[in-house]
Amino acid sequence: MIVVDGTLKRRLGVWLFATVGGLGMLLMLEAYTSARRAASSAYDSQLEAASLTISEAIKWQDGQPVVEIPAAAFQILATNQQERVFYSILDSRGREVTGNLDEEITASARHKAHSGPVWLQSYYRKTPIRLYGRQLTSAGWESVEPVQIWVGHTLSGRESLTRDLFIRTLTRFLVMVLLAGLLILLAIRTSLGPVRQLQKLLRQREAGDIQPLSARVPGELYDMAETLNGLLAKQRENRDTLLRFTADASHQLKTPLAGLQSTSELALQSEHPEDWKQALETMHDSAARTSRLATQLLSLGRLQHSMGDATKAVNLIELVRQTVMDWAERDIARHHDLGLSTMPESPVSIHGEPWMLREMIGNLIDNALRYTPTGTEITVGLVCRNEMATLSVEDNGPGVREDLLERLHHPFERGGRQDTEGSGLGLAIVDSVARRHHASLELRSPAGEGLWIGIHFPMQSVGA
Amino acid sequence: MLARWTRLLLLTGLLPGQLLAQSPMPLVVESALDQQVMAPVLEAFSRAHPEVALSYHDRSTLEVDQLAREASPAPDVVISSAMPWQLERVNEGLAQPLDSDVVRSWPEWAKWRNEVFGFTFEPVVTVYRLDLVRHTIPPATHADLHQILSNHQALLRGRVATYSPSRSGLGYTLFQQDARYSPRFWDLVAAMGATDVHLEERTQDMLEGLASGDYWIGYNLLGSYAIRWVREHPQLIVQIPQDYLLVVMRMAFVHRDAPHPAAARKFIDFILSAEGQSILAGNTPLFSVLPEVIGPYTAKRLRDQVGEHIYPIPIDASLLAFVDPLRRAAFMKRWNREIRILNH
Repeated sequence: MIVVDGTLKRRLGVWLFATVGGLGMLLMLEAYTSARRAASSAYDSQLEAASLTISEAIKWQDGQPVVEIPAAAFQILATNQQERVFYSILDSRGREVTGNLDEEITASARHKAHSGPVWLQSYYRKTPIRLYGRQLTSAGWESVEPVQIWVGHTLSGRESLTRDLFIRTLTRFLVMVLLAGLLILLAIRTSLGPVRQLQKLLRQREAGDIQPLSARVPGELYDMAETLNGLLAKQRENRDTLLRFTADASHQLKTPLAGLQSTSELALQSEHPEDWKQALETMHDSAARTSRLATQLLSLGRLQHSMGDATKAVNLIELVRQTVMDWAERDIARHHDLGLSTMPESPVSIHGEPWMLREMIGNLIDNALRYTPTGTEITVGLVCRNEMATLSVEDNGPGVREDLLERLHHPFERGGRQDTEGSGLGLAIVDSVARRHHASLELRSPAGEGLWIGIHFPMQSVGA
Repeated sequence: MLARWTRLLLLTGLLPGQLLAQSPMPLVVESALDQQVMAPVLEAFSRAHPEVALSYHDRSTLEVDQLAREASPAPDVVISSAMPWQLERVNEGLAQPLDSDVVRSWPEWAKWRNEVFGFTFEPVVTVYRLDLVRHTIPPATHADLHQILSNHQALLRGRVATYSPSRSGLGYTLFQQDARYSPRFWDLVAAMGATDVHLEERTQDMLEGLASGDYWIGYNLLGSYAIRWVREHPQLIVQIPQDYLLVVMRMAFVHRDAPHPAAARKFIDFILSAEGQSILAGNTPLFSVLPEVIGPYTAKRLRDQVGEHIYPIPIDASLLAFVDPLRRAAFMKRWNREIRILNH
């Protein structure tokens, strides 16, 4: 049964989504941090520039720092984003000389600035700000105490620049994903082309067309196409066999029917009741043969069309004994010596279908009865060896020529004999049953010593 | 004196009584802008928003600044011409950002952070009495003024008035700006000092002195008040400086802790709106900032008349430098030195 299990497009889509999603998350994380870094460094340099501008304006008078804050410093600090600006100029004792930071620079920050420029994330009355502080020592006419210049501003510019940079990267990424997605869709369509081609090819076929496919396929599809061709070849073979069988069967049925017709015509032309009686007897025999032939054909057809493996556990000893006893009582067996050889002591169990097996044994006995002269010994045997149960039917009749043995199990093959009433289907039925039971057929005919037919069954392992 | 009063003026007098009864939306505006000058705008606002009960308090710049910093409850709207102080308050975080169509479309150069808005465009002028013209040419430029002061020192002694940089925030800002544009400003200060210049706190005081004949020349007066004043005092002439013209903008912001922020936002939206600005341009001498507004008093018309040498005091972070204590001290030190330099 064919169940639709998603589509290739969906599978590829899910994979693409998972990959792009996973990688994309990482990429976006990286993009965000680098955007932040870029924005931060851009705005930090503004703080440095403002600090430098202020430091230019610092002079010392009478040992005291004096500064005329340049207006430009505030414009640099505020940036084009109109940040709120903060500054503080501290003397060596940490007192604010001038500024608007309300002495919010901590002692530890001041201490750190002694040894070099300091960057700080800080707060001005709960508003987050970025602070930059550095110490300025200057030469002068008298020795002067150093001052610290602290400048800072709010963060909206950094945030909006980060956002801008990030959104730009995000947009580029999304456009790329979109394009890649479209291209992949296109690629899927293109690469599924050969499959569609193959499908079209199959759909266009006539129901009876089982010629091999001929198509250009990519490597991945070669195996499938090849398997399909194998299947088709088997179909062809089966059909040929069937046709041959049907032709043979018709031929086989036609011969006795033609006989019946000619016998009845001859009888009709005769005026003598003796001739009629003789003709009726001939016709009776012929009809019986034809009927048997039809039965055999039906049996073969039934065997060949029954499905599945035989699964019942069957005791072969019992089955063989019953079948042989059944046959020994029939009229046909009266002139032959039908016997049973010594059976194994323990039961012989195989997987099988009893009616088929009975049919098989019956056909083997029937064959032996029909193709041997009266008085011939027919022995049915059963031997267990190496996990194999071998069922055999042996006669001491005329035997079969070595070169005909190979083809004996083909339908309508009579071992070169035209003098029997056999349908020529017996061994074909035997072969069918044997195949169905995974058993193998063996025929032996030592010159002048009759015919030995064995069927090797795999034995059911104990306890299975 | 008119300028001295800081009285609470409920504009409820303009409204029907029963409307007041159903108007629960008070609004307190602390403003360094004469109520009489602003009256047409306030009346229009009350007509447009009858649900708002407006209390407009007219005070000096220093008082307004102090109220903005310390008053509890805080005022809703703070208006002042002391631009550096206003910007300092905003920089401290005392203003709240506004977001409306009117605010967003307000010219970039006349606002900061969408928190504080310059909504007038007032030229800073020189006013002189006609008496002066009998003795000398009119002071058309700063250089002319310096020359007149130098040449007629005896005549003008005690007859020159200007802002006090120490007692008036606006005056200090104007002088800082003057000093920024030309180093020769200090010569002018020295020349004024030589005439025993009177240092006043308000334009109105100087205008009254000029009208009474006490003063002959007033330097750095607010054009908005002067233009209105000289209409009734024909003996006075308003001189727009021809070399460079300083322009002051009144700055308004909504206080961070405004008790009535909704009403405050309505007020700001109104004075920045085309309607409010049209009234500024037509019915007050405060000059509209918006270029599309038509009327006798607009920034555009001023530009057309005066030409390119208009220098509005920029609304940006550089204003903070003027309120830096050290810089202010240094300026005052130099002022005090220069103003006495010719007095022996």
